Amino acid sequence: MPELVVLVAFLEASVRLGVPLALAAMGETITERTGVINIGLEGSVIAGALGGALGAMALGGAWAGMFVGAGAGAAVAFVFAAFSIGLGTDQIITGTAITLGGLGFTGAIYQARFGTTGAVLSVPTLAPAPVPLLSDLPVVGSALFAQAPTAYLAYVLAPALWYFLYRTQWGLEVRAVGEAPDAAAAAGVRVRWTRFWATVFGGAMAGVAGAHLVLAHAGTFAENMSAGRGFIAIAVVVLGRWNPVLVLFAALFFGAANALQFQGQALGLDAPYQLFLAFPYVLTLAALAGWVGRSRAPAALALPWPKRE
Amino acid sequence: MTEVLARLDGIVHRFGRVTALDGADLQVRAGEVHGVLGENGAGKSTLLSVLGGVLRADAGTLSLRGTAVTLHSPRDAWANGIGLVYQHFKLVPRLTVLENLALGRRTGSRGWRLPLREVEDRAAELMTQAGLTVDLHAVVEDLSVGNRQRVEILKALLRDPRILILDEPTAVLSPPEVDTLLALLRSLVTDGRAVVLVSHKLDEVLAVSDHVTVLREGRTVLSAPRSELEVTSLTHAMIGADHISGPRREPHAVADGEVVTRLRDVRATGPRGQEALRGVSLDLRRGEIVGIAGVEGNGQRELALVLAGRAEPTSGDIEVASGTGFISQDRTSEGLALEFDLTENVALAAHRDELFRSGILLKWDEIEVRAERLRSEFAIRAADVSVPARSLSGGNQQRLVVGRELPEATDLLVAENPTRGLDVAATDFVHGQIVDAVRSSVDGPSVALISTDLDEVLELSDRLFVIVRGRLTEVAREQWTREGVGALMVGAAGVPDDRGSR
Amino acid sequence: MRRLSPAWTALVALVLTLAVAAGSLVLGGFNPIEAGFAMMRGAFGSSNAILSITMVRAVPLILTGLAVALAFRAGIWNIGAEGQLYAGAVAAVWVGLVGGALPGFVLVPLVLASAAVAGALWSAIPALMRVRLGTGEVITTILMNFVGIYLAAYMVVGPLQESRGVFSQTDAIAETATLPLLVSGTRLHSGFLLALLLGGAMWAMFRWTRIGFEIRAVGAAPKAARIAGLIKTDRVVLLTFLASGAIAGLAGGVEVAGVTFALYEDLSPGWGYTAIAVALLGGLHPIAVLGTGLLFGALEGGAAEMQRAAGIPASWVSAVEALVILSVLAVDQVRRRANA
Repeated sequence: MPELVVLVAFLEASVRLGVPLALAAMGETITERTGVINIGLEGSVIAGALGGALGAMALGGAWAGMFVGAGAGAAVAFVFAAFSIGLGTDQIITGTAITLGGLGFTGAIYQARFGTTGAVLSVPTLAPAPVPLLSDLPVVGSALFAQAPTAYLAYVLAPALWYFLYRTQWGLEVRAVGEAPDAAAAAGVRVRWTRFWATVFGGAMAGVAGAHLVLAHAGTFAENMSAGRGFIAIAVVVLGRWNPVLVLFAALFFGAANALQFQGQALGLDAPYQLFLAFPYVLTLAALAGWVGRSRAPAALALPWPKRE
Repeated sequence: MTEVLARLDGIVHRFGRVTALDGADLQVRAGEVHGVLGENGAGKSTLLSVLGGVLRADAGTLSLRGTAVTLHSPRDAWANGIGLVYQHFKLVPRLTVLENLALGRRTGSRGWRLPLREVEDRAAELMTQAGLTVDLHAVVEDLSVGNRQRVEILKALLRDPRILILDEPTAVLSPPEVDTLLALLRSLVTDGRAVVLVSHKLDEVLAVSDHVTVLREGRTVLSAPRSELEVTSLTHAMIGADHISGPRREPHAVADGEVVTRLRDVRATGPRGQEALRGVSLDLRRGEIVGIAGVEGNGQRELALVLAGRAEPTSGDIEVASGTGFISQDRTSEGLALEFDLTENVALAAHRDELFRSGILLKWDEIEVRAERLRSEFAIRAADVSVPARSLSGGNQQRLVVGRELPEATDLLVAENPTRGLDVAATDFVHGQIVDAVRSSVDGPSVALISTDLDEVLELSDRLFVIVRGRLTEVAREQWTREGVGALMVGAAGVPDDRGSR
Repeated sequence: MRRLSPAWTALVALVLTLAVAAGSLVLGGFNPIEAGFAMMRGAFGSSNAILSITMVRAVPLILTGLAVALAFRAGIWNIGAEGQLYAGAVAAVWVGLVGGALPGFVLVPLVLASAAVAGALWSAIPALMRVRLGTGEVITTILMNFVGIYLAAYMVVGPLQESRGVFSQTDAIAETATLPLLVSGTRLHSGFLLALLLGGAMWAMFRWTRIGFEIRAVGAAPKAARIAGLIKTDRVVLLTFLASGAIAGLAGGVEVAGVTFALYEDLSPGWGYTAIAVALLGGLHPIAVLGTGLLFGALEGGAAEMQRAAGIPASWVSAVEALVILSVLAVDQVRRRANA
């Protein structure tokens, strides 16, 4: 049936676009659980994208690109952490600056290397890797289980992070640091160190997300191609109530909203192209408005530690 | 001669330009409850922070069982058998008691596992031994203050300390709870442990200690066994002079004064949506000080805010005075804008003081004049009126708040824990100002003194109420004693039932 | 942002930025000295450069910088100046296209007013979400940026597209809707004067008026403002947020009515974000923002010349602007720590 084909294509695109959101958001979940809000996540995403592209081209393979992308994302987050956690600068403004700097520097590097003509790079891509048996399931099979390996990373990461947070000593420390850093410090936890690595981890995940955009979705790099996904990821963390499993589902939902821009016409929705582009952001705003008071953020979120004065 | 477990000699510690400790000594012996007395600001907390590994002394020695050591962190202190129970609890509110207890326990190389079962078993053991009960699966933020303190003590006991230090533990407790705690402390020393009790409350320290050390201005001025001491010499040591306690007044209720504020069956909710005031009725008359005593968490906050016109009740009738001054218990975040200078902080009264404004403009010259007057009349130690409020000491900050609020309190002054954390001099000053405001003229305001400090309320009030779970009970004159008032507090939120939760 | 930093922190921050920026150029194989000179030439090399490039480039930066400074002073993280600017530009263009019959002294204020209103409306959603729902405004204002950009992109290929329907831009607005020039023969329009006046007015507001004090109090100590100052913090936040949006919207309107006379995609090269650097470097002080706005106007004005003469990509300038923010934050933080 043609409708079914369209539906499957839509589901597949939803997952493919939801995966980078999921990875970035799950990383940010851990970061925010320690009380740090990384507005610079977008910078990590775009850095991961460029790193992924350059890494794949220079080292001759998409997997290499993935690792370079993760590293680039982590490096950007490292700078953010150095300022906001190390020095204690305001997290919000520092994060904004990191994003602006990330977008600016990646744009500059791209233009310097490849000129301003906008020629499309050819980047070795990551082929979909169907899971035996599972990918043969009707409808869901090809949508969920015939994706690039990064999707499987996302599926596994969600329960793994949940287990980490609620069943391990380290996860307990992470939660304590995000709720009451003074109490955690009094109990002997190294607050800033915990926040630091949680932030760098979040950046690495965002970097993988960016690399996925290049290596598993677009097949090339373009300036500003992150298109605000880092910000949407931060909203997804709120909507997923800082719970890694819920965050994964929320991210896939937003992937669907994103997929409309490609599948919209096929699905029979006739509207201006820009409307489809704007839709995910509008949806995010509406979701944020509707989710008010449902759950509380980590109590120490965005507060510097040690406290000023 | 009992074993000396810890010995501090000549400890000096500075915070920037302020010298908190200037040669303090302390000897903690096994099997002893050792009381450390001193008024606020004498250096008690700093001294025990040094003993607890939180701070490093700038000079002086610390020896544990005869060997000199340097403690680099609280972990070092634990490793050396020193447990510290903080005055301001270091608990994670949204985690359970058990998770709080499990925090910070590194189980060797298998550090990633979360040994909740083992912690639970150990905690249950300890609770039986020490005679404490707490619901291990309760979430800390649902616990009363008294119970949270129990969790803190349990946390410290879990590390099996030889020396247990408690910093001002009775400040937040009702009289019955204080008794329970002091009994617990005595039982803890029977197996050779030592307990160090830090407090500014003379009677409590005298009631429970075997040995007392007094700190004043960062130095040890007295250290002797309890048997050799009595109240006058101790008071003298604490403040360096005989203390004529406060402006001793005879309570005089004003039955026919003008009613400036009237509450009838007022209800209000607290920050987490719970019912905090449950039908409060109260008349406040000119020229009288109405004291409202209670343990934290019984609705005082909401009552103070409603009386001061800073919060709306959810139901009931209320006639609130227009000329109101409010001394909030939270002077650094509600009373003052720390980043603003003295003048700008005085300007915060502009909404209520016509002198300060003119149409859409502020009359900064008037405001500055007032600020200057305040600085001199209230003896605020500041270089000039353009220093940020942040740079003032606690006592001087409170003087600023009081000085700003008094002129606005033409009808009513609401004072919420106005002397919390202040030394004796500043406390006397604030009390004096309150009494003067009431006495100064026939048209003096009414004062609502809402305080967790029983002594303060007993000393100053003309009429006395106790607030218990959002309801007011007037205290008859015969019962104006600590025991009498304490009896009325039974059943208050914060006074424990056996399950250890509210 | 609370206490204003002393002026020297801005200087130190600038020097640090220069050092890092120069370093990054060297890493990229460029010559920083050459770049510097090219930038100076592009920005100040001739009276045309100064009047028609630098000062003209400075106008939207000063206006959005003032908008952001106002918001930050009140403790509002308005990262949405970009979207608010676009909303203002759309409104301005629309009024400028349909109002051609009106005389200039009516139409020009109408164009600018509609831009301001549109900007305020654009900030109203995040503002209401913050005040009524308690939703943090950082993400909401950023999301509104994307919506605003796409809205403008839609307008220029849809309802407002130019009459021949070929290009993604609008027709030119009516002659009577354009802003008069300050210096004939250049592109320096009266929007520059408006920006200066607005800066002065904002300074006066903070210095002398009740509302100015209330805004500062809400930003510095919201609890004290409410409890001690009896200030209606929600109302102050809402009004300030809307005013900030209005000024950013005005920036869009001024750009349309004074420089481009039409609307097209990518009207703004990220002014709403650069505004954050402008505001922070100026220590959130309205008069200082006039200066830092000019500084960044020079930076952006010289960027084209830098690209032409030294081959430096234009995006690099945005990276430098981000560096400015980071160094201001870092210097300020170090200063606080040293004082404590």
